Parts: sequence; structure tokens; C-alpha cells
Amino acid sequence: MRANIFPYHHAETDRGGDETRAVDASVRLPVLVLFGNAVHWFIVASLIAFVLSVKLIAPGFLGGISFLTYGRLAPIARDLFLYGWASQAAMAAGIWLVARLSGRPLGGVLHSTLLISATVLWNVAVLLGSLAIFAGYSTGVEWLEYPNWASAMLLLSFLLIGIWAVLHFDRRANERAEVAQWYLVAGFCSFPWVYGTANLLLTWKPVQASAQGPVQSWYCAGMLGLWLLPIALASLYALLPRFVGCHINRRNLAPLGFWLILLLGGWGGLSRLIGGPVPAWMTSVGVVAGVLFLIPVAIVMINLMLIPGEGESPVTTPQLFLRSGLVALLAIGIVGAIVSLPAISSFARFTAITEAQNQLWILGAISFPLFAILYEAVPALLGRVAWCPVLSARHYWFTFSGLWLLVALMICGGLFTGLALNDPTVSFLNITSYSYPFHVLECTAQLLLLAAAVVLGLNLTRALAADYLFPKKK
Amino acid sequence: MHRLPTLLSGIFLVFLTSWLGLVAYPVLGLGRLAPVADAETGGTLPPVYGGQAVEGQHVYATEGCISCHSQQVRQTSITPIDIERGWGVRPSVARDYLRDSSAFLGSRRLGQDLSNVGVRLPDAKWHYKHLYHPSAVCEGSLMPSYSHLFLVRRIQGQPSDEALELTGADAPKKGYEVVPTSEAKNLVAYLLSLRHDYPLPEAPVKKAAAGPAK
Repeated sequence: MRANIFPYHHAETDRGGDETRAVDASVRLPVLVLFGNAVHWFIVASLIAFVLSVKLIAPGFLGGISFLTYGRLAPIARDLFLYGWASQAAMAAGIWLVARLSGRPLGGVLHSTLLISATVLWNVAVLLGSLAIFAGYSTGVEWLEYPNWASAMLLLSFLLIGIWAVLHFDRRANERAEVAQWYLVAGFCSFPWVYGTANLLLTWKPVQASAQGPVQSWYCAGMLGLWLLPIALASLYALLPRFVGCHINRRNLAPLGFWLILLLGGWGGLSRLIGGPVPAWMTSVGVVAGVLFLIPVAIVMINLMLIPGEGESPVTTPQLFLRSGLVALLAIGIVGAIVSLPAISSFARFTAITEAQNQLWILGAISFPLFAILYEAVPALLGRVAWCPVLSARHYWFTFSGLWLLVALMICGGLFTGLALNDPTVSFLNITSYSYPFHVLECTAQLLLLAAAVVLGLNLTRALAADYLFPKKK
Repeated sequence: MHRLPTLLSGIFLVFLTSWLGLVAYPVLGLGRLAPVADAETGGTLPPVYGGQAVEGQHVYATEGCISCHSQQVRQTSITPIDIERGWGVRPSVARDYLRDSSAFLGSRRLGQDLSNVGVRLPDAKWHYKHLYHPSAVCEGSLMPSYSHLFLVRRIQGQPSDEALELTGADAPKKGYEVVPTSEAKNLVAYLLSLRHDYPLPEAPVKKAAAGPAK
């Protein structure tokens, strides 16, 4: 480990040596702009998610207005979580980590301008794309609802950032790349491939619909498992060992984990199609991929959870988020493996359990490590104490309790309705009434998550504007 | 794994495997499935959509129906429940979707599966009333109202044949009527044409007819 380049420190109190400061100064603007926009989309998405949860209790809520129907709001919220928040925060975290780990500052104003222009383009695309769904111009393809011009803008914007990231990795000072750097390169390479292929074949120039099912499921799995998860894992591999001041446990397993994540990240898409209108071998591969995903998850746990000193109770907000991210990943592995088994899939598929898995991915294993980077990067970039400890703690506890409450309710509710659906004598409307109490409680969990998002927004605004809000007396 | 070219080629090869399996194979294999001849009518299967139904797919997409409704009857080797529930008479196969603009397979069932809704609920008037106010037709339904696909207008001379027969709180003021817009008509035409109940070589239909949906 190169202590001089990315030393073990808490950014609030120790800002490292001159080299580190030069790197931070060079990426300050693009990373802060990306994180700022990501957080504001996160608040909007959480608000819509809360409205959606109310609509499941009272379908008439905000009724009769075309652009506020469930069918239009649901894809807007999902896409804002994916493209507005997670992808943007992953780009911010990725840029910061690529720069920090390679120990080289950006190559001048040109690079910084390029990154910021790409960011502006990305946000314009997210804004206009969301408005287009509101106005009834959705493509209707799950997770790819933005109209063609908006998805083209997103791809172009990402290419600018992704190519920069891979080239900057190649300029690194350390000869032996570390585990986090492999994941960064993999993540930045995969988004254009996954997003470009899926848009080309599903929305820009759609192939015959009989072929679309597997492509669609490959996209969903790839978006989470090949782009967002690798960046989240890079955050975990970069920060956790440094926080406890130890090396990765059993590092020789890390390459196997890396390649298995990339392999199963794509093939795992088939577990979204078990029993669906695809050849039988695809169903079988889906089951196998879902179960095998436990292996790379176990390797990540061995690498990071069993680090000596990791057992002690974490003290800082980033550490809490990293630990929770690991636990969420473990839950993804276990739930995914169980739900892939045909006997379980037969009743669990299409219920709230599917949604619980999505939440565990997006808000858990992906968002938690990104929050950790956010909390670590902002003080380092600003070069001063940034966060209000009370707000940081509130944010963590609201997010933590909201997510686990939501996931637990969705799994219980999903089991309940799934088992009832399995009995053909129980009518569908009866089953809908069974899920009512779960929907009411899920609404509470969504309210907690909304509160967490608002607290994070306040904390970040306060951090960025501290010089204006609390001027120091001279 | 420390040099960029090595790392990049490794990543490329690993990505390539799932890309070949889940993208290239489906596009070149499933994407080239052709319709089969229908011995009974002399037409082809799956049946061709009418013009209104083709437009209706667009409404189905933009209104986000896929957020709550799936369109697939699962293989009986995984579960027979979709068929037992009356959502279809045989499992859906890839060929069923080849006339669709987009395969609306769906991932949630907050509402019922729609792959055979045209067989199960063949009455257009029922669909109009249901879209206008779902819980008035199905008490306890989670579906929101799609009243924005309808027009409330003053009756000019004779009431329209298309006017909805609404009662209670939904009934329009005296002298007014509620009629479907062209979007509602297209959507209902599409819903009525949704059926996977014809036999295909890879998906024969057993003679026993399915009961009503439960």
C-alpha cells in the first residue's frame, strides 16, 4: 500500500501531503458538481418514491392527472435513482478514486472543462428525459424509458468521462494496480457497452420483439452488476483497508472474485427470466448464475469483512456506510440465490420480493459505499471540515432503518402474496387486499428514506455553503 | 492484471461471454423466428395486429402499464399456477411476441397478467368502464383511473353510441356524456388483441379449455 498517495486518514482532520492536495485540487470542481447534482436528483427520486407508495394505499391520490399516474411516475423515480443519483454519484466517486489512486492530478484545465461539460450534458439529459416521460413520451422499455435523443446524450456524456477515467488510470504512478483500480476500469468500460447495446437493440432500432426479453434482462443485470456494483466495490476496496490500517485479507482470492463478478454480473440477468418465454437452457443458466453469485460475494466478504481490526465497532460515518454496504451485498447474494431456486422462484417472482432485490442493489450495496465516498471526498476536496456530525448521523440512521424496514416488509409482503397467488382458489382482488397492511408500512419506510435524502441535502448544502452561511470572524 | 491492455482484454473477453449468450444469440436466433401457417384459417400465427392495436401498443408503453402488468404465462416446468389461475391455456414462448413493437414481459404483478386479456375479457365496453374508474368495476383494485383518456362533452343531438354507461358518482352531468378518446380506443383494441391461445409447434394447446380468471 502506498501510504504517501492515499494515506489512511480521516479527511476531516488530516488532508495528507502535497501530492494528495494537488490531486484533490485538480478534480475538485467536476467531482463536487457531479455529487451536488446526484444528491439533488436523489431527493427528487425519494419524493416520487414516497408518492408512489401512497398511491398503493390510496389509488385515487393525485388521481385523474395524466402525468401523475402510477405508470408514469414509477419509471421516472426508477430512472432518477439509476441515472440521476447512482450513475452520477458513481462517476463522481470513480473520478475521485481514479485520480487519488493513480496519484496524478488532472492534465490541466482542458480535462476539467471536459469533465464538467460532460456533467452538464448528463444532467440536461436526465432532466429532459424525465420531463418527456411525464409528458407521455416514454419508450416503455423497463429502465430505458428515456426517449432516444436523451439516451444518446447520456451515452455521449458518459463516453467523455469514461474514456478519460481509463486513460487516467493508465497514467498512474503505482506500477502494480490495486484491486480497487481493476474494478474502476471494469466499471467505466462496461457502462457504454451495456447501455449502448441495450439502447441500440431495444429503443433506437428495436430488434424483433421475440428476442428482446433476454437483452432487456441482460441490461438490467449489467447496469447494476457490471457498472454500478464495480464502482461501489472499488470504493469498498479502496477505503475499508485504509480505515483500519491493514491489508486486504487473503488478497490472492481477489482476482477470482473480480472475474466472477464480471462473468456472473452479465449472465445473472437470466435469473430475471426464470420460466419466461425463452429457451429452457436460459432458465437453467439463470438458476445456476443466481446461486453461483454467492461465490464472488463470499470472496468480497473474506477480503473485506474479515480484515483484522474490522471487527471493532466503526466510528465514522463513512465507515458505517461501508460496513452497511457490505451487509447489503451479502443480503443480495443470499436472497438472490434463494429466489433463483425454481421452487422459490415459482411464487416469489413478480411479487414485492423482486422489488426488494432492486432496492437492496440500488439503495443498499451501491448507494451505501457511494455515500461513504461522498462523506470522505467532500472535506478532502474543500480542504476543510465540512459535515455537521448530527446531520451525518441522522442521515445514516434514517437511511439504514428505512432501507432495512422497506426490504423486510417487501420480502414478507412478497412471501405472503406469492403464497396466496399460488392457490388458484384465492381471487386476485383478495390477494391485493392482503398486501394492504404491507403497503401502509412500506409508506412509512419510504418516508424515512425521504427524510434521509432531505437531511443529506441539507448537510451537503451546509457543507458547500459554509463559508457564506457561517462567515468566520476576523 | 497490472497493465492496461491485459486488464482491458480480460474484461472484454469476460463481458463477451454474456454478451454472446444474452444478446447475440437471442438476436440471431430468437430474433429470426418466423410466423407459422395457421391450418384452420389459412392465415399466420401469431395473428397480425389491426391498425388500432398497433397504435395501442404505443399508449401501453407511454402510460407505463408495464410497471404493474406482466405479459407472460410461465413454463409449466417452473409453475403451473399461471395456467391454473386462468391467465392462459399454455406457456408463452418467444414466437408469441414477434408481432409486438416491444416485448412487454414485465417484472411485477401488482395487477393481473395481460398476455391473454383479450380472451379473458373480450368486451370493449367493460374495458372502457374499467379504465375510466377501475375500482367501480373491480372493488379493491389498486389500479388508478385513466379518465384522462376520456372526454366529457355536451351531448349534441343524439347521445353517442360510444358513450360510457356510467352510474352513481361517475355519471356525467345531465346533458353531458363521457366518450373514449382515440388513445383509449387504440389501447382497448390492443388489449382485446392480446392472446396467446393459438397452438404453435413449440407450444401446443391442450384441448381442455381454461376457466374464467380468478
